[in-house]
Amino acid sequence: MSGASTTQAISRSFTELDWPARIAGLVGAFSLAAALAAFVVSPGLVVFPALVFVVTALYGWFFHQAEAARALTFIATVSTLVILGIITVYLFVKAIPIVQRMGLGLLTTTNWEVHASRYGLVTMMWGTVVTTIIATLVSAPLGVAGAVFISEIAPKSVREAVKPAIELLAGIPSIVYGFIGFVVINSYMQDVFHLPTSGSLFVVGLVIGVMALPTVVSVSEDALNAVPNPMKDGSVALGATDWQTTKSVAVPTAVSGISAAVILGVGRALGETMAATVILANVTQLPEPLYDVFGNTITLTSAIASQYGVAAGRPLQLAALFAAGVVLFVVVLALSVISQTIERRMQRSLGGEQ
Amino acid sequence: MSDYGAHGEQNIVSEASTADYLAVVPLVLGALAFVAGWAVVFQWVGVRDALAGVQYATLISAGHLLAGVALVGVGVLSVTDVIDNNPDSSVGVVPAGVYGAFAFVAVGLVVSQTLGQGALVWAPAGLVAAAVVAVAVLAIPEDLGVTLPVAAFEFVAGLAVVTGVVGPSWSWSPVGFSATFVGQTAIAAFAMVGSLLTVWAAANAYRGFGARGREYGAYTLISVYAVALLAVLALLVIFVVQNGLDQVLKGAQLWPLHVPFVTNGFGLRYDVNGIYPAIVGTVWLVVGAVVFAVPLAVGAAVFLTEYAEQGRFTRVVETATNGLWSTPSIVYGLFAFAFLLPRIQNHVTLLTGQLVLGFMLLPLVLITSREALQNVPDEYRDASAALGVTKWQTIRSVVLPAAVPGVLTGVILGVGRIAGETAPILLVLVREPFSSEAPSVLGSFHFTSTAPFVTNDALLSPATALPYQLFAVITAGVGAPIKFGWGTALVLLLVVISFYAVGITTRIYFRRKLRQ
Repeated sequence: MSGASTTQAISRSFTELDWPARIAGLVGAFSLAAALAAFVVSPGLVVFPALVFVVTALYGWFFHQAEAARALTFIATVSTLVILGIITVYLFVKAIPIVQRMGLGLLTTTNWEVHASRYGLVTMMWGTVVTTIIATLVSAPLGVAGAVFISEIAPKSVREAVKPAIELLAGIPSIVYGFIGFVVINSYMQDVFHLPTSGSLFVVGLVIGVMALPTVVSVSEDALNAVPNPMKDGSVALGATDWQTTKSVAVPTAVSGISAAVILGVGRALGETMAATVILANVTQLPEPLYDVFGNTITLTSAIASQYGVAAGRPLQLAALFAAGVVLFVVVLALSVISQTIERRMQRSLGGEQ
Repeated sequence: MSDYGAHGEQNIVSEASTADYLAVVPLVLGALAFVAGWAVVFQWVGVRDALAGVQYATLISAGHLLAGVALVGVGVLSVTDVIDNNPDSSVGVVPAGVYGAFAFVAVGLVVSQTLGQGALVWAPAGLVAAAVVAVAVLAIPEDLGVTLPVAAFEFVAGLAVVTGVVGPSWSWSPVGFSATFVGQTAIAAFAMVGSLLTVWAAANAYRGFGARGREYGAYTLISVYAVALLAVLALLVIFVVQNGLDQVLKGAQLWPLHVPFVTNGFGLRYDVNGIYPAIVGTVWLVVGAVVFAVPLAVGAAVFLTEYAEQGRFTRVVETATNGLWSTPSIVYGLFAFAFLLPRIQNHVTLLTGQLVLGFMLLPLVLITSREALQNVPDEYRDASAALGVTKWQTIRSVVLPAAVPGVLTGVILGVGRIAGETAPILLVLVREPFSSEAPSVLGSFHFTSTAPFVTNDALLSPATALPYQLFAVITAGVGAPIKFGWGTALVLLLVVISFYAVGITTRIYFRRKLRQ
């Protein structure tokens, strides 16, 4: 439906133009398409259609600015969607060979045998699951407690200083966390906990959890802040203490926003690459026994990061890494959709009551 | 609530009666034990170190026992009505559940580890203990229900340490785990858990139990959490500064300002090895990504917000961009490695790095620009349209200027994020991480008479970047220049944090201006 109306809108705006503008529009559209095709087929030729496009765009800008602006923003939209679409499609296409070879075994076996060209993702998925669970156990309770502190308990002056500081800390690059984990925490764990090897799932989970903390705090605080004041005032007017109000009104009202924040944190933990790569030894074996969180294994992200260099000459291994990327992409996309749905529902229910 | 009428009024008037100050004793002891626990974790003190002739472990256990005695005292004085307060008839389900969980863990560990029984024995034993504790706690009035179980934990912890059952020389290797837990860890864990429980119970008692006591207890506990959280995050930053400052200031002088670490390359001809090429590389990466992504994303945002019909299409685009924003950065790296690299020179280049970071920036700038455009009030658009100007003139002269701060903030925050990214550029940018020369992009433009008419060797050559250099330090293996890495980490942190600081400050400034 929307596709048809878009086509109609384009044709309508096209018929409104005079002839030179129509020609310019067509030339611009074709030259851009040609440039894209040239980049995929033969990158050296990109310059010719690109030049044509630039000239057409300049002509349009100076003689038909309103139409040109509309067309250019439309082109920007299409290019953005095409780029993001290419990334998505390419990811899936490149994973096809390994799915054809391994079938369902890709998701159910643990073997990662480069010489036999047999690749199963279970080991990596297990590493990702364990580190994500540990990271969530660290970041969710502490993050929500921090959000309650900033939003409900702290005086205004403290809140105005702490909130930006927390957001600032969300910007610390993951490689810095990874460096600290590699240099300091790994040797600390070997020293104090007598770990047999350098690096463990526990350390990765802990580091990623701390890394995701500021995000969880900041987003849950936004959710608590969005609870309309009249709701809290009503509770206080009934004689409830502030804590009873927080516990029984603010947190239950904001619970969907808070869960969206936790899901966002989980997504960050799932996709965190550098910390896992540099802290773990990236051995493609499951820990023995499975629940040994102080053991050493590999995660989906660190598998890609540590192996895509050596996989360049082996199409099947590269395909297996793409399959790992697909798994990550699908899970993270699902989490993102869930958290957006929750957030939209919260906005609707809170908006209706004001 | 039964004695609310008898004592309630007085409590509303006075914050706390004199006798309630007894609760300050465990409160202070708890706070001290919390700090002591962290000090052991961070190895500022060892548990065997002596303080005034007494072993640190003994001091901590004495704190446990004292806090336990004080809590029992508060509970007994309260239940015998010596202290004037208004406890409820029971402590409530949540604390009872927490006490039950503690009992489960304690009994389960003793039965399975000390007595050596299997899961068929320790699990039921733990469950029975948890049920007994929870029911018993629910049966007694709130003042005892708050103080006695916490005191019991403190006594058990203190006695275990002081009698040497879990002393400094204790060690435990649980079956199936690679880790060994030693006395130091256990003592620190006891100190921290015990101190949180004690602080909660003491704060609760300080305000005379009941609803006000519970509020004070919960607020104190959460505040301690929050302060600890902030302290840990602040320590992280301080730790990087402390370790990296020496390296950054190596050979530096104030006047004339000269900091060789950030102005030198890496090589034999420099007296102090520096990271100048990596800084320049990072700057060009960011510039390239911004030049590529910002026009596209802002243009798309204008179209989607101002021209396109709001409906299923825009919602799908929104969902897709949000999803791509949270896609792991390594996936972008994998894409760039397999798709872009063979098409651009077939080796690592600065241009590929710029493009892949631009791809990452695209969704974020699109999302924030759309938000900024949507936040421009419709009155602006209507007022402009009422003057009889066209839609494009409205957008150009009214909507876009009003949205600039929001767009700018999004770009700055996005740049802060991509400047610190390592995963996407792992295999598409760098050939020589510790390079001696910075890429000179501006000086490398050459015009030719054949296609493609303009060439730039610097863009098509490998470069290096700050986060990659840090990664290279880690992977250098034995003899890695760790000091050099700390210096790089500090500079990287400063660069990224200052982007964030500018972004967050502008956002706060413009939000405030908007509200006026």
